[in-house]
Amino acid sequence: MSASSKSPWIVHYNCNSCNGCDIEFVACLTPMYDVERFGILHVGNPKHADILVVTGSVNHRDVRVLRNVYAQMPEPKVVVALGVCTSSGGIFADCYNIFGDVSKVIPVDVYVPACPPRPEAMIDGIVQALGILERKRAGEVMPSAAKPVLTLRPTAAAEAAPAAAQAAEQGNA
Amino acid sequence: MTLTPQMLTVILAVVLGPILGALVSGLDRKITARVQGRWGPPIIQPFYDVLKLLRKEALGVNRIQIIYVWLHLAFMILTVVLLAMGQDMLMALFAYTFSSVALILGAMSVRSPYSRIGSHRKIMQMFAYEPVLILLIVGVYLITGSFQASSVAQQPLLVKLPLVFLTFLMAAAIKLEKSPFDIATSHHAHQELVKGITIEYAGPYLALIEITHFYEIFIVFAVVASFWATSPAIGLGLAAAGFLALIVVDNVFARLTPMWMLRYMWTVPLTLALSNIIWLYCA
Amino acid sequence: MQDYDKLLFAALILGPILFGALALISPSRGLRNAIVIIAAILTAGAGAFLITRTPLQFFMEPWTAHLATGLEFLIVLIVLGLAINIRSWLIAAMALIQLGLAASELLLPGQGGGTESAAPQFVVDNLALILVLVVSIVGSIICVYAIGYMKHHEQHAPPTAAGSGRFFFFLVGFLGAMNGLVMANDLKWLAIFWEATTLCSFMLIGHDRTPEAKNNAKLALLINTFGGLAMMVAGLIAHLSGHGENLSDLTAGWAMLPMALLCLAALTKSAQLPFQSWLLGAMVAPTPVSALLHSATMVKAGSYLVLRLAPAFSGTRLAVIIAIAGAFTFAAASALAIGQSNGKKVLAYSTIANLGLIVTCAGIGTPLAYAAGLFVLCFHAASKGLLFMCIGAIEQKIGSRDIEDMGGIMFLMPVTTVITLIGMGSMLLPPLGMLMSKWLAIESAMHAPLVLFLLVVGSALTVFFWAKWIGRIQTASYHREYKAEKLPFTILATLLLLVLAVVAGGLMTMPIFNAWIIPVVRGMTVAAWTADGLAQLDLAGQLPMWPFLVFLGLGLFVGLISFARFKEKNVREPFLCGENIQGGEHSYNFRSIGDSVNTAWSASYYMGSFFAESWLTPWVNLLAWMVILMLFGTMIGKL
Ligand code: SF4
Repeated sequence: MSASSKSPWIVHYNCNSCNGCDIEFVACLTPMYDVERFGILHVGNPKHADILVVTGSVNHRDVRVLRNVYAQMPEPKVVVALGVCTSSGGIFADCYNIFGDVSKVIPVDVYVPACPPRPEAMIDGIVQALGILERKRAGEVMPSAAKPVLTLRPTAAAEAAPAAAQAAEQGNA
Repeated sequence: MTLTPQMLTVILAVVLGPILGALVSGLDRKITARVQGRWGPPIIQPFYDVLKLLRKEALGVNRIQIIYVWLHLAFMILTVVLLAMGQDMLMALFAYTFSSVALILGAMSVRSPYSRIGSHRKIMQMFAYEPVLILLIVGVYLITGSFQASSVAQQPLLVKLPLVFLTFLMAAAIKLEKSPFDIATSHHAHQELVKGITIEYAGPYLALIEITHFYEIFIVFAVVASFWATSPAIGLGLAAAGFLALIVVDNVFARLTPMWMLRYMWTVPLTLALSNIIWLYCA
Repeated sequence: MQDYDKLLFAALILGPILFGALALISPSRGLRNAIVIIAAILTAGAGAFLITRTPLQFFMEPWTAHLATGLEFLIVLIVLGLAINIRSWLIAAMALIQLGLAASELLLPGQGGGTESAAPQFVVDNLALILVLVVSIVGSIICVYAIGYMKHHEQHAPPTAAGSGRFFFFLVGFLGAMNGLVMANDLKWLAIFWEATTLCSFMLIGHDRTPEAKNNAKLALLINTFGGLAMMVAGLIAHLSGHGENLSDLTAGWAMLPMALLCLAALTKSAQLPFQSWLLGAMVAPTPVSALLHSATMVKAGSYLVLRLAPAFSGTRLAVIIAIAGAFTFAAASALAIGQSNGKKVLAYSTIANLGLIVTCAGIGTPLAYAAGLFVLCFHAASKGLLFMCIGAIEQKIGSRDIEDMGGIMFLMPVTTVITLIGMGSMLLPPLGMLMSKWLAIESAMHAPLVLFLLVVGSALTVFFWAKWIGRIQTASYHREYKAEKLPFTILATLLLLVLAVVAGGLMTMPIFNAWIIPVVRGMTVAAWTADGLAQLDLAGQLPMWPFLVFLGLGLFVGLISFARFKEKNVREPFLCGENIQGGEHSYNFRSIGDSVNTAWSASYYMGSFFAESWLTPWVNLLAWMVILMLFGTMIGKL
């Protein structure tokens, strides 16, 4: 892996989330999960970021903000959508104010469904995104079929743990 | 052309300076993480960051800011060169000041409220630490009778400048954007200013700022070490102790307001440094 | 003394006054402009030619002593008339006292008897030469600039404004008076030209004849007449006590009280605290006046006089107090500048601060300090003249002199803005002149702790207000191309000329220092100077220039390459939490609550709670008065 995937900086945008996903995502920064060991930083600013993490379904006002934030990120960049809300609108899908899912506005590279996903799954999703970032760096244009969708049942937490551990090793290598 | 020892020092400082600075910065992140009970990033993480940034798209808001980021780097290297040549310290300080000013001006050339507030805070930071730095040079002059940076090697300065050393560490906390003074920009998570002064720099331009910062770290710890320049071992120990102290302070304190910083820096450290200087005058 | 030296002498003093008179009576604007340009070229040429003739001494015919006395009475009477005209009884009283002093000097016999004719009436040494160069070159450039400025000003000036003919008479004539002042050795002649500059500035400040202009002109007259009074008292004391009535005898004779009085006069003229208010008030005048008052004439007269006297009082207690007065002014004026958003006022405070630096250097009085003082004097004249000219052009374009209104002028007037940036940069950027002089000043202050501390504080404050202002004027959105604005030819030409001088001078500071300033300082014979001090001078001169030039050049070169390679596709709006409204010049607009359009805006920090002028001024003035009292307290202690 090259330097680009060893230093993924994240900007987090909360669309119309119930904040469940956000709380779980912020939990990734805690000593328990410590994403900084992969060089992951939460920069809060699209101009410095490589990865855009989106949570929640997109309402009408979000559309323009999401586009702007995405446009202000320098290439190569990837989008990770956390939670079912981002992939389908989730439980808010039929609300009057909902525009739809994230992929209607910006191209999404990794979906991490669940309501909310566990921190392990989120980290796993970001590690997957790193691979895509690497390929984008190399100039590859990714068809959407090639992009991973992580499905994770709550019982499958055990599945995610080795993946995270593996990623941890890679990060430290 | 033959290499004189002086030229060799200059070249070594310019080449190795940022590398050492980056390592120190990586070590800082690692130790901070350990203090917080985390594993932390690898020590060479800053290199990854810079390499990544260099290969990203060069985005900007206008063109003026780009010139300033280069001036920022150029004058920081100039400071290193002047110090390594053993030249006038006050002049080196002015070059260093201009380097910071260039960053401020670049950030101010952008129509961005975050950037503007960040740069104003940076000005306040400079305003807070400048007197302390000049007093440091005054102290060295009073001891050695010379402004040349080369003169610090004559004797251990710490013996005669203990309070100035203390205040320099406080100034260093500002320069390295450590809590409680990390008000203009910060390496930690989300700030009220969303990265403040560097917010409108992306990709390679941000990498340049990072590299400049590595030089800055190098300069700061080189100065700390030069308080005991007669013995490299003690000097390095001093630098290490200062480094650890800064990390502890960083982790113990919350970020405070700019006005608090100004009031603090213009009272406690300034008084300390001044009393040290005054007893040197009297001695 | 040869005949053409006399001619040169006349060209420098009488030439500008004569041409000014011609401008006054010239029937058309075209003719007047031509006269001003010719006057400028001749004066500058004469000034430059003086380099080859220095040092010079002029012994005048004995009858001119009567002429001087007559002129002295005349000028005091004019002041008296003016005072009655504007109903300022304070000024009238001071003028009456001056009249009394002049009369008593005529009546009372001096102790020294007939020694007065022994010394030359006018002397051109290196110090005077430097001043003449500054006056005649920078001053002339400003006069030419005024042509374009006044054309615009006439259309927008209040209806009460005086005619442009009168304006140019005083503007150009000012140069003559100033040249006379710096070359004068005889105290009478010095006082005459001193009062003449006061009168010129009174007329120019009151040019618009608005109530504000009248008031401020009155203030300027008041304070400077006070200074003039001090000078006349000095003259009388010198006359009575038998020290020769000229500068060279005074400085040789250690006549402390007259010297202290002359220093007081100098402090008023160079607007040192607590006498700063007249210079700030002078801002109401058309900008060329400010440029002239601040850079080439008027305030420089004060700092010149202190520098002239410095070798004589070097090492005494008077010197200590003078150094403290200057350093205090430097720090306090810089602090006051931070709270200002009026651009011209910031420049005014910066001028006061820099003059304070010169006064400090004179007070410290070591060779290095003296060299620093000369350095500040030259570089400040060029930079400040340039900055005022720029601000004048900007003000005429945007109709405001408030710093906060200057955002975006980069697009509106790129040429002026870039020149302004260079001018402001020359105040901060190593190795340009102002910074180098500050460096020398601080290094030379090492043995005077209080002065040093004040300089340190002041220099930290300076960075604050300059950075703020520079940041504001260069703020701009992305533009594919910039179109140069249309400036009147005289304005553009003078701006370019002066910026070229600033850059060229700035890049060669150390060579200038070594080749010119060091020999000048070494050429002086001052009793208090030691070999050690002179060695310090040479040591400072050894600072290598190449690292600065290399890195400044590299930084700019690479920066400009990336500047050129930056394309429109790389442009993104500034981060406004994603709520930007796309496109165009208004990319800093964003949608706020309820989709309303707002503009992101953040003003500069002025820290009004501490640096507010109204709050700070009384306190610093109080302290400054204390210093002035100490100045005379040392005299009493000596008696
Ligand atoms: S996916 Fe579930 S937890 Fe996440 S934002 Fe939607 S509703 Fe909330």
